[in-house]
Amino acid sequence: MSISEMAVLLDDAAVDATAIPQLTLSHELDVDGAYAVQEALIARRLDRGQRLVGVKMGLTSRAKMAQVGVHEVIWGRLTDAMAVPDGGELSLDGFIHPRVEPEIAFLLGENGIAAVAPALEIIDSRYADFQFTHPDVVADNTSGAAFVIGAWQPMPAGVDNLGVLLEVDGKVVQAGSTAAILGDPRRALTEGRALTARHGLALEPGWVFLAGAATAAVPLTPGAHVRAVVETIGTASLKVSR
Amino acid sequence: MSIGKETLGEAVRLLREAQETRTPCAPLRERLLPAGDVASAYAVQRAMTEQAVAAGRRIVGAKIGLTNPAVQRQLGVDQPDFGVLFADMAAFDGAEVDVTRILQPKVEAEVAFVLGRDLPYEQVTVADVVRATDHLLPAIEIVGSRIANWDISIVDTVADNASSAMFVLGNRPVALPDVDLRLCGMVLEHEGEPVSVGAGAACLGNPLHAVAWLAQTMAAAGTPLRAGDVILSGALGPMVPVTPGAVYEARISGLGSVRTRFSGLAG
Repeated sequence: MSISEMAVLLDDAAVDATAIPQLTLSHELDVDGAYAVQEALIARRLDRGQRLVGVKMGLTSRAKMAQVGVHEVIWGRLTDAMAVPDGGELSLDGFIHPRVEPEIAFLLGENGIAAVAPALEIIDSRYADFQFTHPDVVADNTSGAAFVIGAWQPMPAGVDNLGVLLEVDGKVVQAGSTAAILGDPRRALTEGRALTARHGLALEPGWVFLAGAATAAVPLTPGAHVRAVVETIGTASLKVSR
Repeated sequence: MSIGKETLGEAVRLLREAQETRTPCAPLRERLLPAGDVASAYAVQRAMTEQAVAAGRRIVGAKIGLTNPAVQRQLGVDQPDFGVLFADMAAFDGAEVDVTRILQPKVEAEVAFVLGRDLPYEQVTVADVVRATDHLLPAIEIVGSRIANWDISIVDTVADNASSAMFVLGNRPVALPDVDLRLCGMVLEHEGEPVSVGAGAACLGNPLHAVAWLAQTMAAAGTPLRAGDVILSGALGPMVPVTPGAVYEARISGLGSVRTRFSGLAG
């Protein structure tokens, strides 16, 4: 199966909200090939009029690596169609088995980080049972599905150990720290620049950079009010439709 | 339902022997302590404390355990537990700890409260705790278990002084208003790698809640918290098994840092 055929499979799975078997179960696919599939997958969405607005890092924490069994930092692309306004409503109709995790986002400037914000990322593997290998998850745009960015704040002196809570219906369901993100989320940006450059993508000013999850992900359920709280930075929230 | 004097004495003997011979013993539940008989487990703990005090050990405060809902669920309980802190359990910041002294050691990062006033009330509000707190310190608690393989139930850990072993306090006192105890980030690092992360809310929603629980529990038991007491309020993240020879540094946002260094197995 060609790169573009794999991209069509994954794109259709996302559009139809229907899980597919892992590509690597029946096809040869290495990590470089998987990034080519991801690029082709996103190119289809850009052809449909979506805009590239940033990148997201994945598997930047030990907890996350343990949860999915892949032990290397990965990255995916963000398009404008994935953005949900802060406090906005999200229907689960377009998702397969969505999970949410609290993150920290950087706004990229001409020279480094222009601002920082709390964020929620919704991940939704297009593979059955949320099971995948390293090339599978890379091809699937690192499970990226949607994201919420809270209000942008000036970058504080340090962001290496800010407490992060994930609340569902007012109850704390995960408590962590930005230290979970490679020890300091700024390292995720350094890694992100290097990794994207390796595949011919240069990060652009004005883009959003999702640095990675500060806690494990939890399933999204109908009617849930979900909020990320980041020490000194603020909140990002969404309401899931019933 | 409560255990007899002989059974209590046997439980005390087994726990002491485990520590002295540095050989963990089988769980006490069922064979000595009825499952869920927490009152009898505290009676064992109290007997051991009385022996320790009689031997000249000085009580300096208390530790709160089982402050994380997930850990409570694991042990089938819906409230925390506590143990007694003795002065000889304290190690200095960064000083070497003899790893062979502690049975099955693990480390966790916590907020330590140092009280400036007594808390003698059986009904305690957060405001009482705020008023009684003189200052906070970052802390590493080194827990250990006299029970083989950490195979503990609630009665095992309560009898075993809440699986306590040692503790390390940071050196820079911080005032309560200068820390966001709910949102403060915590990272425990080993050789620069985060091995445990969390936040203040992981401890009963807020470490202040844990101290309020302890204050009323101790007052009800007739041994209220006193000015000068050090309280280890509960872990802010998962506990981590100790690697001999390792250094662990805990950083808590707004509270600074504290470290502990373990000897190799050879001592």
